[in-house]
Amino acid sequence: MNTVLDLKDVRLSLKGNAGPVEILRGISLTVREGESLALIGPSGSGKSSLLMLMAGLERATGGTVSALGQDLTGLDEDALARFRRGNMGVVFQSFHLIPTMTALENVAVPLEIAGEAGAFARAMAELEAVGLGARAGHYPSQLSGGEQQRVALARASVGRPKLLLADEPTGNLDTVNGAAIMDLLFGLRDRHGATLVMVTHAPELAERCDRILRLADGVLA
Amino acid sequence: MSLAWRLARRELRGGLAGFRILILCLALGVAAIAAVGMLRAAIEGGLADQGSVILGGDAQMNFTYRFASVEERAWMESHAAKVSEVVSFRSLAVAGEDRALTQVKAVDDLWPLLGSVGLEAGTLAEAFAVKDGLPGGIMEKVLADRLGLKLGDRFKLGTQVFRLGAVLLKEPDSATSGLGLGPRTLVRTVDLALSGLIAPGTLYETDYRLLVPGADLDALKAQAVAAFGDKGLQWGDRRHAAQGVERFVERLGSFLILVGLAGLAVGGVGVASAVRAFMEARVATIATLKVLGAEGSLVLRIYLLQIAVICGIGVVLGLVLGAGGLMLGAPLLAGVMPFPVSFRLYPGPLLEAAFYGAVTGHLFALWPLAQAVRQKVTALYRGTAARVWPKAVHLAAMAGLLALFIGGAVWFSGSWKLALGTLGGVFAALLVLALAGLGLKALARMLARRRFVDGRPGVRWALAAIGGPRSEALAVVLSLGLGLSVLAVVGQIDANFRASIARDLPAKAPSFFFIDLQDAEVQPFLAMVKGNPAVSKVETAPMLRGILTKINGVNARDVVGDHWVVMGDRGITFSDAPPPGTKVTAGVWWPKDYTGPAQISFAAAEASEMKLKLGDKLTVNILGRDIEATITSFRKVDFSSAGMGFVMAMSPSAVAGAPHTSIATVYAEGSAEAAILRDTSKAFPNITAISVKDAIGRVVDALGAIATATVLAAGAVLVTGVVVLIGGAAAGVPARMREAAVLKVLGATRGRILASFALRSGMMGAAAGLVAILAGAIGGWAVLRLVMDLPYRFEPWSALGIVLGGMVATLAAGVVFALAPISARPARVLRDAE
Repeated sequence: MNTVLDLKDVRLSLKGNAGPVEILRGISLTVREGESLALIGPSGSGKSSLLMLMAGLERATGGTVSALGQDLTGLDEDALARFRRGNMGVVFQSFHLIPTMTALENVAVPLEIAGEAGAFARAMAELEAVGLGARAGHYPSQLSGGEQQRVALARASVGRPKLLLADEPTGNLDTVNGAAIMDLLFGLRDRHGATLVMVTHAPELAERCDRILRLADGVLA
Repeated sequence: MSLAWRLARRELRGGLAGFRILILCLALGVAAIAAVGMLRAAIEGGLADQGSVILGGDAQMNFTYRFASVEERAWMESHAAKVSEVVSFRSLAVAGEDRALTQVKAVDDLWPLLGSVGLEAGTLAEAFAVKDGLPGGIMEKVLADRLGLKLGDRFKLGTQVFRLGAVLLKEPDSATSGLGLGPRTLVRTVDLALSGLIAPGTLYETDYRLLVPGADLDALKAQAVAAFGDKGLQWGDRRHAAQGVERFVERLGSFLILVGLAGLAVGGVGVASAVRAFMEARVATIATLKVLGAEGSLVLRIYLLQIAVICGIGVVLGLVLGAGGLMLGAPLLAGVMPFPVSFRLYPGPLLEAAFYGAVTGHLFALWPLAQAVRQKVTALYRGTAARVWPKAVHLAAMAGLLALFIGGAVWFSGSWKLALGTLGGVFAALLVLALAGLGLKALARMLARRRFVDGRPGVRWALAAIGGPRSEALAVVLSLGLGLSVLAVVGQIDANFRASIARDLPAKAPSFFFIDLQDAEVQPFLAMVKGNPAVSKVETAPMLRGILTKINGVNARDVVGDHWVVMGDRGITFSDAPPPGTKVTAGVWWPKDYTGPAQISFAAAEASEMKLKLGDKLTVNILGRDIEATITSFRKVDFSSAGMGFVMAMSPSAVAGAPHTSIATVYAEGSAEAAILRDTSKAFPNITAISVKDAIGRVVDALGAIATATVLAAGAVLVTGVVVLIGGAAAGVPARMREAAVLKVLGATRGRILASFALRSGMMGAAAGLVAILAGAIGGWAVLRLVMDLPYRFEPWSALGIVLGGMVATLAAGVVFALAPISARPARVLRDAE
């Protein structure tokens, strides 16, 4: 199977008031096509930062990050944005829907940005797939937390990305809604054959993945 | 429809709530510029439409101290369909024991050739008609009231008695008269024959108004100047009927537009703050768009389009406010203007205002936009966006917009010096204010850790808020400080002006000028005033008026340009010996009883400005006759004391036989002035006394009107600053709400929290005020010393007012916007924040 993610000796340090803080200290790992990987560990261990590096949303201070054969460390912000189109879908704990757009428009945006035809028809189909066809005209503020995360899932998957990245997708949801979201996430992964990397605190969710990696203090345990 | 526009439209659907301050800031600046520009266009339009009426004819030939010769009159009659003669001079109107200086206009039966006279009642013919053997005269109401005259009452001009035939409301041709030293009296010239006022050598002007329908005015002017130009003829025609007014309006208009630009700069600070606040609220959206694959350029386009729409709304609102406000006030303004004003929609000034608004809006919005799109996604989500420089291409775009703005200001104002000077001043003030804002933050940070705040938590919170992250200090000091700075500069100039006129001049200025003394009257007049113990000094000198036409045979204006000495007629004296106190700085005065070729002694400072040398030959036209004289000496003349000062003094033989009168200055105690005026005008009815105090009062009044206009314009800048301030205070409400909630949880009372919020506002206002004082002092000094060549003295009261104003404005805004945070329930605020 092809390698989708290849990280070599990745380091990340951020400037803090009391000097630089080492977030990641030499992470090396590979993720293969179709695999699902759970990143677990205590708060502050660097899980989310590692996911952001994989998504090209954070820049490593050392080492290399390759996604789908592309070295991300050499790309500028705009090149990274272009690379994400159609290749990656990202789901956040806080949903990050655009408050001024309806659910349908939120889902259609990545297709519009990529200049793909039939953006709204495809967005509608994706919304229906997550059970929100009836709420297409609602704004984020008119949706519950679970519904907002379902819109975010539809938005992440509408472009048929090869790589799905999820940062604590159930962290802001209750148990029932959290379970429903996970079912949807894995359902989408299966339907589109995407590779999934997920950050989570919950062991039961992690166990649904093919592989679990534990981070502690910026290194793989 | 482009993707950027589709996404921009979706964001704008949410309404304009986040843009209120931005729209208001732009609208106010644009409104001020549009209103001033429209007013200027309306006045210029009025002058152009009504040029003939203002002038009183299609063309005018003016002579000084003489009537037109037979030859000149014949030329006029042969070229014009109608010719009307108007004589103007100053005199004293006397009614019983009351007397007042008046500008007399003596007219013929044809006046006015164009337009109509406004009288309180009756017709012009009825007003001038002879009744009970007395000819009629017409007075402005203010003059009739001062003399206590009712219709039919008697008054005297010189030795001629008139009856008050009507009260004057409006003259069609008053705008050509300039600043008069007294209110108007209208009489017929024929009725002055026995007044003794228009004698050879007395100071009067004659205007001949010509009706020449369809004539080529350029050709006519060329003919007239060729025939009579060397005899003192001054030509005017309807194309520039009121040149003084035109120049005044042009300069004042340019100045006001530039004050308006300063207002836009203040508004620009508000635009920048509003855009920054707007972008901060959109940080998550920008990050999400980037996550979904949007490049920086797409994000920039999405938000630039929104800014363009918002700027468009602000500009249109500003144009409606400015033009609409002016049109609403048109009837009132038209009533108080001494010249016709054509109020209508002028596209030029509106385009100018729209240009400034659009360019300013984009210029100030581009920086925060370009910064926001360069931020990393994770930094945006974490709310830890660092200060980044915009991309080079965006910096170049900002430089382009700035160049467009400056170029536009230079182009529209018509004076690159004024435009660049003002913009340079605004930029310098912004720089100083930015430094002051940063300095205030650093100082507050340092003081917050000092011992003296121990036990004073309110003070510590205030200092920490000013010095800490997300401090409002910079925005407040910039916006309010710039508004206050403009007001401070205007305040310092105005206060210095008034002070120099009211305080410095009268200390050494005479009480009266007496003009039109005939030779035979000089000695009896001197005997009378010198006999009065209240009189400390009297000076007399013979005087003629003449125009300096040529320097070494070349047209004087071609040599020295628009120097004031060659702009119109000047007083010329003659004397055997240097008058007492004269200081000859170069050359020698002519010998006593000198009868050789004409010699002239010239004022040293003016000679130096005009680059005249000893031995230069000047041609002076006196009463139509050219006299060529050689400069043989320079002398020091002090024009600032309002005493007697002549630029030119000639050897007596040069002007022998020319009709002349004498002028006298009388220095006396203030309490004796009324008696001196009464006694002299009774004994010498044809001479005219000009009270220096009254004349200065008229000048101060005129300056006061200009000062009011500039203070109003500066006030508009300040209002914009206050709007920016309010915007900043309103934007800070959520943060203060959380701060107040946490402080309440920790046990702080509402009073203590409010006091702390008020303290921080007051400190920021005081800092803005202090910088404004510095800017006012530097700006005032620069304008007075470098532009007007007047002395400058720091005026503390005006300055104190500025600091207090700044403190009160920020304090009020701070307190008003602190009320909601301190009254909100902490639990609700903290729950919402989670």
